[in-house]
Amino acid sequence: MSLAVDRPSGRAVPAIREETVAAVVFVLLGLLPVINSGYVVYILPQYMLFGMMAMSLALLWGNTGILSFGQAGFFAIGGYAMGLVMKEALPINPGYLGILCAALAGLLTAGLIGYFLFSAGVRDSYFVLVTLALSIIVEQIAVSQSQWTGGWNGMFIMRPSLTFGGLGEVSLTDDAPMYYAVLVAVVAAYAALRFLVRSRFGKILVGIRENDARMTALGIETAWYKTAVFAVSGATACVAGALYAAHSGFVSPSLGGVLFSTEVVVWVAIAGRSSLLAALLGGIFVSSISNYLSAVSPQYWQLAVGLLFIAAIAYFRGGIAGALPGLLKRSRRK
Amino acid sequence: MTAWLEIRGLTKRFQGVVANEAVDFDLVEGEIRCVIGPNGAGKTTFISMISGHHRPTAGRILFEGHDITTWPVARRARAGIARKFQTPSVFPNLTVSENIELSVLTCRGKVASRRNRIDEVLQIVRLADVRDTPALALSHGQRQWLEVGLLLGMGARLLLLDEPTAGMTAAETHATGELVRHLVRDLNLSAIIIEHDINFIRDLKAPVTVLHLGRTFAEGDFSEIAADERVRGIYLGNG
Repeated sequence: MSLAVDRPSGRAVPAIREETVAAVVFVLLGLLPVINSGYVVYILPQYMLFGMMAMSLALLWGNTGILSFGQAGFFAIGGYAMGLVMKEALPINPGYLGILCAALAGLLTAGLIGYFLFSAGVRDSYFVLVTLALSIIVEQIAVSQSQWTGGWNGMFIMRPSLTFGGLGEVSLTDDAPMYYAVLVAVVAAYAALRFLVRSRFGKILVGIRENDARMTALGIETAWYKTAVFAVSGATACVAGALYAAHSGFVSPSLGGVLFSTEVVVWVAIAGRSSLLAALLGGIFVSSISNYLSAVSPQYWQLAVGLLFIAAIAYFRGGIAGALPGLLKRSRRK
Repeated sequence: MTAWLEIRGLTKRFQGVVANEAVDFDLVEGEIRCVIGPNGAGKTTFISMISGHHRPTAGRILFEGHDITTWPVARRARAGIARKFQTPSVFPNLTVSENIELSVLTCRGKVASRRNRIDEVLQIVRLADVRDTPALALSHGQRQWLEVGLLLGMGARLLLLDEPTAGMTAAETHATGELVRHLVRDLNLSAIIIEHDINFIRDLKAPVTVLHLGRTFAEGDFSEIAADERVRGIYLGNG
């Protein structure tokens, strides 16, 4: 059984549309700072950005059947791009430029890697190995090029401001404005990716996941589509990384490491890889629960997450989101 | 005058083993041709070279005046050359109508006209009743028709059908014959069909090319081929 090939059995046809659930989730997230102004307002944007990175993987893994262990690599590239741009004195808002540079860096890096690998017919486990190497390379470059990146000491980054042309400026130094800026970015990313998944392009990706050879014989240049989706996924993870850098004010080499990449795969596998919303929620909840549990029980939490991961891969290939409709139906029957 | 599909000296060797040797073959638009021959005659290799799944060792393939010998599979498919595989290649986890939708999507067009096209194709391949069934739950015969539906959906003009009646009941085989005749006569498609079922070939009343040991052994109407003692010797007599 190959991890890289996803063939979810039985398509769930939920009575409630995913967009409706997403809207409720986003409204709740939007109300949270009104009710609570403590630590949660500071920390939740970080988890939302992990959720955004998880969505970038779900697009690739759940929709197209391509597994990547390189998402943290892209996340780190985005973070460092933001940091490098923010260092410079620029006539335009460096925060905006940082995000733009991060997106372009992701698009280019993933596009180039994807082009060479997919047009050479590299697939499944071999592609996974290359993305794994990407994570290692990014981490190593971050360590070795210390004149740019600060090496193991990492890089400190100022929080940017939002400027609206001549209309004014909002500093993101306080947690509440930062929270809303990140929330808006996450909603925009969800909406854009959801649109992509439902478009002609997205349906062709599903066809490639289900039967690559058949899509080719139907006239589709599958290598081109796979390159394009990998580039979009890389750019999304990079933008999440750039926002993370702006939020936390600090990036370090371990952000691009294999360990972090693996964690992303675990979140998405447990939450459900074939739904963007599930991946987003997985990124938010599984990562925050892991962080909480690692403080409570440092010895056993990794074991627990590992067992959950194995269970998800072996028995619930759709993750929690895939198992949920069936469980609901069963409980209704009782 | 050049033919619609013109094949000259087509040769394929797999590490010295000859699969096809200097095959010449012409097809006019709107024609059905059956390709028969005993096991190992090189029938599937021949189809694979037309669809682009195998690169010939020598020879060339002209389609509508273009030399397509080096074109990759997807480009030939977009030119209208569509292949049905020996083992049906469909999207098993998707429903019948989603399968057809994917093939219709490969041609750009308006959403509304796509919907109509999906319904049309489902009618032609007689799968409208099972449109919401996952492809993996179909009978073997229905799966073969679904694959033919995929070829129609993508806008194929030359159908390469590798054993379209394999694993079918007598009734299904008969229905498939009607389907193929409908495609060629009423929809003006062309087809090259590899078949083993002699009754199916007789019912098609189509010209037959006999391959033997990778070469063209005989060519003619079904009655001529059936009466040919040499062909009987290599194939029909042993069949």
